[in-house]
Amino acid sequence: MNKTLINSRNFLSIFCILASALLLNNSMAAEGGPCKDYGECDNFKYSLNDIESLQRGASTYINYCYGCHSLQYSRWGRVATDLQIPEDIFFENLVFDKTIKPGDLMTGSMPAEESAKWFGVAPPDLTLVSRYKGDDWIYSYLRAYYEDASKQYGVNNLVYPGTAMPNVLMALQGNQRLICKDIPVIAQNGGEKRDELGNPVTKEKCGFLEVEEGTGQLNKEEFDSLIYDLTNFLVYVGEPSKATRERIGWYVVFYFLIFTALSSLLYREYHKDYNH
Amino acid sequence: MQEKDKTRRKVLIGLTSALGLSGVPFAATPFIAAWNPSAKAKAAGAAVKLDVSKMQYGQQIQVAWRKQPVFIIRHTEESLAGLDLSLEKLADPNSDQILEPYKGLNQSRSKSPEYSVMSGVCTHLGCSPKYHPEVEPKPWDESWKGGFFCPCHGSMFDMVGRVYKGVPAPTNLVVPPHMFEGSILTIGEDKEL
Amino acid sequence: MSEMAGKLFSWVNSRLPIVNTFERHLSKHPVPSKVNFWYLFGALAAVTLIIQIVSGIWLIMPYSNTEEQAFSSIEYIMRDVDYGWVIRYIHTTGASLFFAVVYLHMFRGLLYGSYQKPKELVWIFGCTIYLAMMAEGFLGYVLPYGQMSYWGAQVIISLFGAIPYIGESLELWVRGDYYISGITVSRFFALHVVALPLVLIALVFLHLVALHEVGAGNPEGVDIEEYLDDDGVPLDSVPFFPYKVLNALVAIGVFMTVFSIIMFFFPEGGGYFIEMANFQEANPLVTPEHIAPVWYYAPFYTMLRAIPDPLGGLIVMAAAVAIFFVVPWLDRSKVASIRYKGIFSKIALTMFGVSFLTLGYLGTVGVTEIRKTMSVICTIIYFAYFLLMPIYTKYESTKEVPKRL
Repeated sequence: MNKTLINSRNFLSIFCILASALLLNNSMAAEGGPCKDYGECDNFKYSLNDIESLQRGASTYINYCYGCHSLQYSRWGRVATDLQIPEDIFFENLVFDKTIKPGDLMTGSMPAEESAKWFGVAPPDLTLVSRYKGDDWIYSYLRAYYEDASKQYGVNNLVYPGTAMPNVLMALQGNQRLICKDIPVIAQNGGEKRDELGNPVTKEKCGFLEVEEGTGQLNKEEFDSLIYDLTNFLVYVGEPSKATRERIGWYVVFYFLIFTALSSLLYREYHKDYNH
Repeated sequence: MQEKDKTRRKVLIGLTSALGLSGVPFAATPFIAAWNPSAKAKAAGAAVKLDVSKMQYGQQIQVAWRKQPVFIIRHTEESLAGLDLSLEKLADPNSDQILEPYKGLNQSRSKSPEYSVMSGVCTHLGCSPKYHPEVEPKPWDESWKGGFFCPCHGSMFDMVGRVYKGVPAPTNLVVPPHMFEGSILTIGEDKEL
Repeated sequence: MSEMAGKLFSWVNSRLPIVNTFERHLSKHPVPSKVNFWYLFGALAAVTLIIQIVSGIWLIMPYSNTEEQAFSSIEYIMRDVDYGWVIRYIHTTGASLFFAVVYLHMFRGLLYGSYQKPKELVWIFGCTIYLAMMAEGFLGYVLPYGQMSYWGAQVIISLFGAIPYIGESLELWVRGDYYISGITVSRFFALHVVALPLVLIALVFLHLVALHEVGAGNPEGVDIEEYLDDDGVPLDSVPFFPYKVLNALVAIGVFMTVFSIIMFFFPEGGGYFIEMANFQEANPLVTPEHIAPVWYYAPFYTMLRAIPDPLGGLIVMAAAVAIFFVVPWLDRSKVASIRYKGIFSKIALTMFGVSFLTLGYLGTVGVTEIRKTMSVICTIIYFAYFLLMPIYTKYESTKEVPKRL
């Protein structure tokens, strides 16, 4: 037994050295993250138990996104039920086509060929966007539009440069621009670098997003929270059973922990028979 | 082995097997539930709506609800009046033997005095009976008062789907849940039920 | 009543060896009395196989094997079928854990010499099971017809194209179309759900029959058959039931805890168990930015990438799996267990393990110059472990193996 321990210790230490070498290598390689020019994606923490957030997100989605982006694997009635919206209220306020029944799929209201003509590409279905792009990406993307006169719709996006989608939420967000800022230079000791006169040394850096004040209906916090709700809704719609899954999970894990404990007690009891 | 150890073993065996067995129903749940009608099947089997105001008196139409035939008949006054005449031929004229959703509401067995709504599936072995509204002698009944005759095994029902005595079908044709909103008939859903 | 049942039982038993088989292979089957946790992964592999078969049968029911519906039928399972998501996640988690358990089981074999005489056939059946599992896993991964299914299959099927002369027509024949279409998916479906499971079950049966014939090993490498009691039962053994069964029960408890943590909280396994790109329907016109195989093929995929020539890569990759089959004849050591082998065996096995894990990591990330060099080095270490085995096992000094456990 001793020998295997030594062996596995060797094994582990070599592995650790190799792994750290690889990680170092990884950071040097700088592959270009999923959020592209934006840098690191903003961290998004979903909260599927916040039903009100999901309701607001659903409403934003249907009012601003559903016109072009279907949710073809999701059913209207399921969304109403999961988001605890009474069916009559849901259908009155969020379903504009009165022929739709609760069991129908949310297949969108725009024919694909038509939209391909308008935007160059057919707007993709977004049922699973939170699963193939990730919630961090969506949350960053929707907040990273900026003015760019060279583009078709006068906007570009840091997260998805050259995106074909116009900034649908511009009226809410306002005019966002790319600006340059003078930022303090960090000295070698970690503090701000100062010149001989004691003034902080600054350097101009570009690529910051800033909204022109007063151009949007919402301020920054309100807009961020709108996008939070929208992203949260897309996380829900990507996997409607996710909240249930995580809830049931605790019981199942707990069950197997108890099972393990009991069976190991039983095993030890029988183990006594031949182990004196 | 000491007596104490024996008891300990027994208790542990009991607890472990009880815990293991109690997990079985939970483990089986997804596998059993996966056989329930899926959301897609339920959507396909959702209630159907149709306007019945254009139907002629005495006309029968057939619609599909959950891929099964449902008969809708708009009765003439004569045929409604004739319903009581053949009472002695019927096995269960008041639908006491089945779960009748609108029992005692109308002669037509539906929520409307004028229309009958019933499942077009014979309660014997699932064939679809044919509509024969004429009051005239038929090969299967000399004194036919109009109704349904099943070509498979010869079961007979009256104009509102009540089964005759002495035929293979055991019970009346089933009345599905339905509602009328003006002349719009919804089959498969009744907000009052 | 009970008398009747007893009569019926003895009638059957005299025609079908129920009691005999039960005693021989279960209740009285002697197993070494002292083994460690490494000896539990076989039982766990059997449990996982059963889990995969049951959840697989339930997935066949709502799955649709056509090009138009394969992808959407997975979402149908995830959303519209009651508890469909549970069954699917059982199957995806089970697939990854099956490989994890089997890799550990195989490593146990290398650690304690579980392939040595007379267990060569047990080992060979095991290697064949692993081979069948690799095929089974690959075929299954194509079925959801997502982007990773498509492009993963594209890469693997293109490997056939590297075979001289017949390559291209072989590729076309495997696909049955000019791209990986519904035709390909439905034949992969048939193989995944019927053909290979039959092969797997048959191989597992043979693996167990052969094992029970020669007896299970132990971490000391002691032959327990040397010292028998008056009934001919090895002194250093315990009956399979209840001792081994209870031991396995504890292992199953731990395993199922891990299983359910993954399944309920991290079913995508951070993109390693279900890759993110596979939530997009297959699109033959757009390659995803970053193609990585599922983690369990990653080491072999790295070897493939390390060799610039496709045919060479294919040969190396095939050789990396095939070489396991001849391990019983590569190991010339007098002792079985690593505990009594010499320092060279220990270093070699450690290096092998590290290079295997490194190869696995490299297969899941993009290629850079340094990584390419590392893959070549690790591939060389991987093969050196096997190819030098006849030398270092023969000439190193070993320790004395005790007589008893």
